[in-house]
Amino acid sequence: MATQTVAEPETTLDGQYDGERGALLRLAVVTALLTTVTLGIYRFWARTRIRRYIWSSISDGRDSFEYTGTGLEKFLGFLMAVVILAVYLGVVQMILFYFGLTLLGEPQTPEQAMLQSLAFSITFVAVLPLIFFAQYRVRRYKLARTRWRGIRFGAEKGAWGYAFRAIGHWLLTILSLGLLLPWQTWRLERYMTDRSWYGDAPFQQGGRWTALLPAMSHIYAGLCIMIGGGMVAGLLGQAESGGVVAVLGFVWLLVGVVVYRVRAFIYLTENKVLDGNIWFELRIRATPIVSTVFLGGLMVGLITVLIFGGLGAVVMFLLLPAVMLGEGAVFIAVVAVAGLYLLALAVSGSLVLVWILQPIIHQVVEAVTIRNADELDYIEQRGHDTGADAEGFADALDVGGAI
Amino acid sequence: MPGVAARYFDGRSAGRHDVDLVLDEVGGQLVFDGPTLADGPQHWPFARLRAQRDHARKGGLTLMLHAPTGDEAPRDPARLTLTDTGTIARLRRLCPDLDKRDLHPGTWGRIAKRGALAVAAVGLILFVILPRMADTLSDLIPIEREIAFGKAVTAQMEQALGAGRAGGLTCDDPDGQAALARMLDRLTAGRELQYDLQVVVFDHEMVNAFAAPGGQVVILRGLLDEASGADAVAAVLAHEIGHVERRDATRHALRAAGSAGVLSMVLGDVTGGAFAVFLGERLIQSSYSREAEAGADRFALEMLNAARVDSSGMAEFFDHIGEMEGTGLSLPEYLASHPPSADRAEAARRNADAQERTAPVLSAADWLALKAICD
Repeated sequence: MATQTVAEPETTLDGQYDGERGALLRLAVVTALLTTVTLGIYRFWARTRIRRYIWSSISDGRDSFEYTGTGLEKFLGFLMAVVILAVYLGVVQMILFYFGLTLLGEPQTPEQAMLQSLAFSITFVAVLPLIFFAQYRVRRYKLARTRWRGIRFGAEKGAWGYAFRAIGHWLLTILSLGLLLPWQTWRLERYMTDRSWYGDAPFQQGGRWTALLPAMSHIYAGLCIMIGGGMVAGLLGQAESGGVVAVLGFVWLLVGVVVYRVRAFIYLTENKVLDGNIWFELRIRATPIVSTVFLGGLMVGLITVLIFGGLGAVVMFLLLPAVMLGEGAVFIAVVAVAGLYLLALAVSGSLVLVWILQPIIHQVVEAVTIRNADELDYIEQRGHDTGADAEGFADALDVGGAI
Repeated sequence: MPGVAARYFDGRSAGRHDVDLVLDEVGGQLVFDGPTLADGPQHWPFARLRAQRDHARKGGLTLMLHAPTGDEAPRDPARLTLTDTGTIARLRRLCPDLDKRDLHPGTWGRIAKRGALAVAAVGLILFVILPRMADTLSDLIPIEREIAFGKAVTAQMEQALGAGRAGGLTCDDPDGQAALARMLDRLTAGRELQYDLQVVVFDHEMVNAFAAPGGQVVILRGLLDEASGADAVAAVLAHEIGHVERRDATRHALRAAGSAGVLSMVLGDVTGGAFAVFLGERLIQSSYSREAEAGADRFALEMLNAARVDSSGMAEFFDHIGEMEGTGLSLPEYLASHPPSADRAEAARRNADAQERTAPVLSAADWLALKAICD
């Protein structure tokens, strides 16, 4: 275990992930079906159960993480958020739509499309502060409901401060044509990390934002190829080859964004410190994670096609003979098909979790090493956090992500 | 103490305690102790033992105590993990409440209170505030903007019905258009209307007619095919003019814009969620269509009376729709958002009985020309 000198032995803990594809898929499908049957109400309990499974899969080989949130508190938080958001969204959306109407120019079909996209983007701007607000609340709630070795994680209040900063940083990022993205990434992560705790031990974000600049290389490359392709198409009049190059650049850009996020995550994790004396190592490279994202995505697409293709075949198989048999048989066949359709929806909706998210969590957790882990023994419990809206705003605005 | 090995976290610090554990079946409790435990042996009664649920790692069991804490669930923060399969099996037999879900007292009251509040807020916004605002805003909107919006809506409708290009479905037979103009003149003679009416016929087999914002009225060819006569078409036209004058379409669009956001938020975009949003919106739209429809029907009857057009044409049309409904022919749009046809036919018949002298809205030649407007 000791990785350093003999004179000063240091204890390290290595991450271990025990979640299995089959078990998680079963849980996700069952909870998705329950969600459909309850017209969406069960979704709070569904997410809670999936988190409990994933959290409990993460351990140092001995002691698992524990997710202690409850579906009920999420449901109650959602009800609270609905009261506030119903009024805000309904009124704001209608007023914006009204202004969209009064701003409408010449009556032509493309104008209609433009109006719609305009009205949509304005609505989006109106909920933007709330989305950032909700994102911080999600982080705070997840930390407050995570325990390890019996000790709670937690985060301080600060959702409005986060929303304010996030808007400012996004404006800067857009105005600088993306050049200041690393600054945004680092500052926002520092804002959250510096307010996070494990028991009575604070996390701190170290490092420099400029260290994230090289991580952007593939984004720049993709952009250059895309713009270059466009220039070739425009200047030389070779629309076809220019178009191909532009598409290639776009794909490169997409990959570049994923690469950036992975590299930034690695750098930010390795530069976090807990309680001033516990460090983290993340021995992983971007390539396997990026390939998990894209190969997993391919797999999800393939399985979805197979599922719905199979469903189509079953429909033919069930309905055609049933039509021959008479009305009763048709009714039974329609019920069976509807059931199968819901099952197919539930399975295909769970695929991203099982084929992309869990494999990524698996790789990341197994690559983590906690250094100077002896110091963990001295960390003391922290008080209970009510969790505020228990992610209610995020659930209402649908910004929570899969887990 | 001869027992099995277990790991204990006291819920006060992150320090791990290796403990020795025995099941005291007589005393109905679990007893454990270890060299690092400062407080001596711990006694956990079987009745208060609870296990972690949806646990991923096999072969282990993490236990905690039911306790009246202020936490998210009534659980003591201390945790005890054991891996000995024999002991786990015995515990499962001895503690029937191991997987019980406990609630804080007063939870049901909180659910009821929050639920009622949320339902009231959403109901208030959907059925009181948004309709009122839609009314106010639809009165405020400048008429030229409304006309522009209406033209865009009509163009999009034409595309949705399958027109390859703008105006691709518009029927433009000059005799038919002249007949349509005569019908419109007859209905609106001597009236001050807010809008300059633009009536067009689209070549589509659906039995339907729409009023778009700003005085645009669209009749689909299927309605001309199925109508019993010119009087019936005049009744439908009068009904749509009623929608136009009441600014129903504009109000509709404004209200839909407001309620779409609220509904998709409440129902969530989970499996089947998009469908539920569609369904919910459909329900709300048809429900407020019903009051709008009743108003437009009243307007239509009044207009027919003033123009001395026999309203039994309207009754026949609704009867016909009722029959098609009965035989299961598909008339999705028109029926979904309109009051039951039989009641409306009855109202039109009663009105016809009270009418004094009437004259056909179009001559036989004009009616034939109108029917052939798309040829």
